[in-house]
Amino acid sequence: MFKSHFDIRSQPGFGLITLFTFFALYLPIAALVIYSFNGAESLSRWDGFSARWFVAAWQNAAVQDAAIRSLVIAIWAAFLATIAATMAALATTRTTPYRGLTFKYALINQPLMVPEIVTAVALLIVFSRIKVWTGYSGLGYLVVAHTAFCIPFAYLPIRARLESMDLTLERAAADLYATRWQTFRHVTLPLLRPAVIAGFMLAFVISLDDVVITEFVKSGGQDTLPTYMLGQLRRETTPEINAIATVFLALSTALVVVFFFINRKKQ
Amino acid sequence: MTETRTTAAHGGAIGMHGIKKWFGNFQAVDDVTLDIRSNEFFTLLGPSGCGKTTLLRMIAGFELPTEGQVLLDGVDISSLLPNQRPVNTVFQNYALFPHLTVAENIGFGLKMLGKPRSEIDSVVKDMLKLVHLEGRGGNPVTQLSGGQQQRVALARALAPRPKVLLLDEPLSALDLKLRKSMQMELKRLQTETGITFVFVTHDQEEALTMSDRIAVMSTGTVRQVGSPWDIYDRPAERFVADFIGETNFLEAEVVAVSGDRARVRLSSGAEIPATFPADVTPGGKVTVVIRPEHAQVGTPSPASVLRGIIREIVYLGTDTHFHIRLEDGTTFTVRQQNARSGSCGFSKDDAVGISLSDDVAQILRD
Repeated sequence: MFKSHFDIRSQPGFGLITLFTFFALYLPIAALVIYSFNGAESLSRWDGFSARWFVAAWQNAAVQDAAIRSLVIAIWAAFLATIAATMAALATTRTTPYRGLTFKYALINQPLMVPEIVTAVALLIVFSRIKVWTGYSGLGYLVVAHTAFCIPFAYLPIRARLESMDLTLERAAADLYATRWQTFRHVTLPLLRPAVIAGFMLAFVISLDDVVITEFVKSGGQDTLPTYMLGQLRRETTPEINAIATVFLALSTALVVVFFFINRKKQ
Repeated sequence: MTETRTTAAHGGAIGMHGIKKWFGNFQAVDDVTLDIRSNEFFTLLGPSGCGKTTLLRMIAGFELPTEGQVLLDGVDISSLLPNQRPVNTVFQNYALFPHLTVAENIGFGLKMLGKPRSEIDSVVKDMLKLVHLEGRGGNPVTQLSGGQQQRVALARALAPRPKVLLLDEPLSALDLKLRKSMQMELKRLQTETGITFVFVTHDQEEALTMSDRIAVMSTGTVRQVGSPWDIYDRPAERFVADFIGETNFLEAEVVAVSGDRARVRLSSGAEIPATFPADVTPGGKVTVVIRPEHAQVGTPSPASVLRGIIREIVYLGTDTHFHIRLEDGTTFTVRQQNARSGSCGFSKDDAVGISLSDDVAQILRD
């Protein structure tokens, strides 16, 4: 291997910065996990190891309710966002570049650029109007809102995969009598599958995690886990929210690991 | 549509009539008319950018001609989609489906046509045998060598028994030895299957070896169509003579014409017989072409039509190349076979005479 002209690892202070970065990233998480096993009533005072707050959270009807709602919204939003993102990615890659294509990328990725609070307020206004007109106040609003901001997250990996895919493969399929649908079904989609799964998982985690938009859009009694936790902060806080956060962490880590192994088996 | 899809026992004939193709402001094909006969091994030969691949893609249906018609067995297929044409392609990079096995790749076309499982299985088995890949049906294509992938690509394109097989420089990624054996293999497959092969290459040797007929292309036009012999021995114009093999060009003056023969006077003053292509009317100053292997080097004598000085001798094992500076300053190359071992008997700066075999000069169209 060549030694590059500029090896960042040999610069003064590199080790220190690395160490600091790792602490900044992982120390709070480590503290969160450790304190979720705190036996005390207080968030900050350590009083022996205990799993009591996990049990408490598990048995808390409000937590159960919010957790199920979070999962339902996340699954629906990720599912719908992945479909929309796949279609958007196909439409923006399987075409000859034209004026305005970059503008379309911007439109699709709008939720990444517009401050979330702006979208939240806007949705609050629009949805409250619709609620008045239709009388419907179910989970649909949250699913729609989550789908919208999940689309760019699902879109990015799918588009990246489509762009790197060899177009001659689709041409070869067409040459071998496949109709456009058959080409998609038998060639494009199978090759796209890892990216679609990645997009779905990203969207799922992003939806599960959302606070701002959910807080503004939800009707009464429609707490998700994050908004429930936020609500708890206004009252007395116990290590219960540490326990919930730890479960969250375990779940998202598990998702990443599962995805990693699915992908590795393919290759 | 169902008509054109039916499997054929004979190769299809392709007609290309007045084909023009523009990409924006760039004209890739300029008024090409070609007839490719049933069951022939036809090659489109030319340097890169000459429009040969564009023509191939128009037969496949990946490009539509801006003007003109593509006919298959007399039926206009210009507007049909690629999947509606009984024409299959072997791609330059093979384009095998990486998520499918060897057998699934080969059976893909038949599956898309909705053929029953049993038929697909039996055709795939035959195809594996045809391309010497028996027992490899279950392998992922990504584990095959370049040569094996090439054969899978061939089998995949042949399995639906197309009327015409298109091959887009399929041998360019293989090493020399493998390429030689694949050339023989392709010729064998073409003869065995009776399918019309349209082969695109920039390699003149490949074209000469395999083709029944060759179309030499340059800058979007067809310069000459003919058998390998026609193309090599009777080039119609300078580009063709120059592109195919090594050639000597000499300025000459026509002194007499009778039938398809002429007598021309070279700058040395010697008069030699020359033939000319049917569409050329010789008159005045012309260019004649003489292949290096049709001339002999000797000591200057009355039989020498040209004289010069050896500038360089290149020994190539089977033969020797003499680069000779003629009296008028032009360079002339002679290729002589090394019939016996030992030195050729000449050395650099020797004054030599060049004699020609009978009937080897050809007048070119300008």
